[in-house]
Amino acid sequence: MKQHTHKRLYDTHSWVGIISGILLFIVTFSGIPALFEHELGYWQYPAFGEIAEDRSFDLERTIATANDIGFQYDKLTIQLPDEINNHIMLSHFSDESEFYTLYLKTGSYEEVESSPSALGQILTHLHTDLYLPRPFGRYLVGLAGMAMLLAIIAGIFIHVKWRKEFVMLRPKRSWRLLLTDQHKLLGLWSLPFTLILAFTGTILGLLGIISPILALAAFDGDVQKATDTILGPRAEITGEPAPIYSLNELWIKARSDLADKEIKLIEIEGAGDKGGLIKFSAHHQKHLSNIETVTYSTATGETIHEGSFIGKGPFHRIFAAVTPLHYVLFGSVWLKICYALAALGACGLIVTGNMLWLERRGHGMEHLLSKLTLGICGGLVVATCALFPVSQLLYVFKLGEEHHHFEEWILWSTWGITLFTPFLWKNGFQLSHWMLRISAALLLSTLLVDGLVNSRWFWLTSGWNFYIQAGIIFFALLLVYLDIKMPDEKKEKITNRKTATQATHI
Amino acid sequence: MFTKIIRSTGSRNIAAIVGSFLATVALTIAITLLWPFGDLVEQVLAGGTFFFIFWASIFYWATLAQDGLQAWTRVLILLVPAVTIDIINLAS
Repeated sequence: MKQHTHKRLYDTHSWVGIISGILLFIVTFSGIPALFEHELGYWQYPAFGEIAEDRSFDLERTIATANDIGFQYDKLTIQLPDEINNHIMLSHFSDESEFYTLYLKTGSYEEVESSPSALGQILTHLHTDLYLPRPFGRYLVGLAGMAMLLAIIAGIFIHVKWRKEFVMLRPKRSWRLLLTDQHKLLGLWSLPFTLILAFTGTILGLLGIISPILALAAFDGDVQKATDTILGPRAEITGEPAPIYSLNELWIKARSDLADKEIKLIEIEGAGDKGGLIKFSAHHQKHLSNIETVTYSTATGETIHEGSFIGKGPFHRIFAAVTPLHYVLFGSVWLKICYALAALGACGLIVTGNMLWLERRGHGMEHLLSKLTLGICGGLVVATCALFPVSQLLYVFKLGEEHHHFEEWILWSTWGITLFTPFLWKNGFQLSHWMLRISAALLLSTLLVDGLVNSRWFWLTSGWNFYIQAGIIFFALLLVYLDIKMPDEKKEKITNRKTATQATHI
Repeated sequence: MFTKIIRSTGSRNIAAIVGSFLATVALTIAITLLWPFGDLVEQVLAGGTFFFIFWASIFYWATLAQDGLQAWTRVLILLVPAVTIDIINLAS
């Protein structure tokens, strides 16, 4: 590669990273809990842990029970119980973007009180929309993904000695070399995962922007028509009443039509109207696809649309795989753990990248980027770790609906306060140590609070509660390890030849 | 003066960010219209996938130009034929 090309790619890699780094950290770090949203949902509310012995599903009984309770909406989504979610979840999105949910116990169809905690959802919302109004937050996340993709592409080309860099860490040399080695190590080891996450995340984030472009080319600019053709039609309410076809028969028919696939969602719109539809959505069990659908008329029971992305062209396969690849809707929990570790690696990659940029330009802690990196990135880690024990502690006060508002308040206030600490505390190394210690202590206190409030002591838990608690301990220990390993001050470059040969190859 | 501005680093960066996006949009529409394989949905999804490939490729093609003028030339080499194809196809 020509020196000019290498330098240009290197500069682009640096600037793309610097401009988007902090935003990328927020998206990537919040993506870790978002990856475990369902598991966290199970853990955050102890009542969700009760497992019914009878897990059979009766669609008509579900609808009838919901109607009796007063959960009657023209448009309903039913999420079926699975390995993690024990209950049947009915939900409705109103036109005013309000979200209503009803939980029913499998088997007995008794109402289960909705979770007052929204820990998983809060962090997921931060990951997908940055808590900004739709769709702008989503677009910003998509653009951050595109920046990550561009930085990765340049990073691949500029690291020509990748075989050596794969295993090189020189902790006894200068601070700058340590940052360089860590940046390269983290980047190379997490590369396959970060590449997948960046590409799929960009598609998911920017789908709203590219849809009108694609619709202009193939559907005269009609985005709704394009969406209906790809994902199946929406109900057209005629106002003409019609008897509802047996929903249980349609459920049996759907299971036959979607053989080899696991039905996850049922969407009912306009039942009782001539134009009413019911759509069953499934995940393919052998291929990467979560958009296998079949749609029937609720009036006649006839099949309106069958959508399968398997057995079609290569681009069907690519788009079908986007969500499963991004949210790990395949493989075992170990694969999710690999994704989470890679995301953690990417967080380290972003922070070391920013610090390296500052170091190479001779800036210290007094630089604004340095303060913002520590305040925003470190602050998010502290705030997220504070959210876990507080979420459980709030059950003591029986706040009901207010529970999740307090959780949001804790996240934002902790983050806000920590964000300003680098502007007051001049020693960045010392502050980083304290942030790591406080975060680890908060995580470990979660286990204590969980034990005291919910009697879920670590040694007594099993299943997903155990895995979540083990994950919390692992992350706390990782933070303690980083606290031990991180230097207390910047080491100056050692030029002594003898010392220079002491590079440690791991 | 104009030549100086066009040749500047800032101009090259704008070509890489804005120019590459515009060329990507035009090329995506063109490839969606002309994609010869599969059904209409496959055509649309092909366009959707190529969008990101085009964007990244054109961004770096413009970035690696010697100066702003060359970056804009590279963007226009793609943009003009793509827009022409789009207009001809969409008008017919």
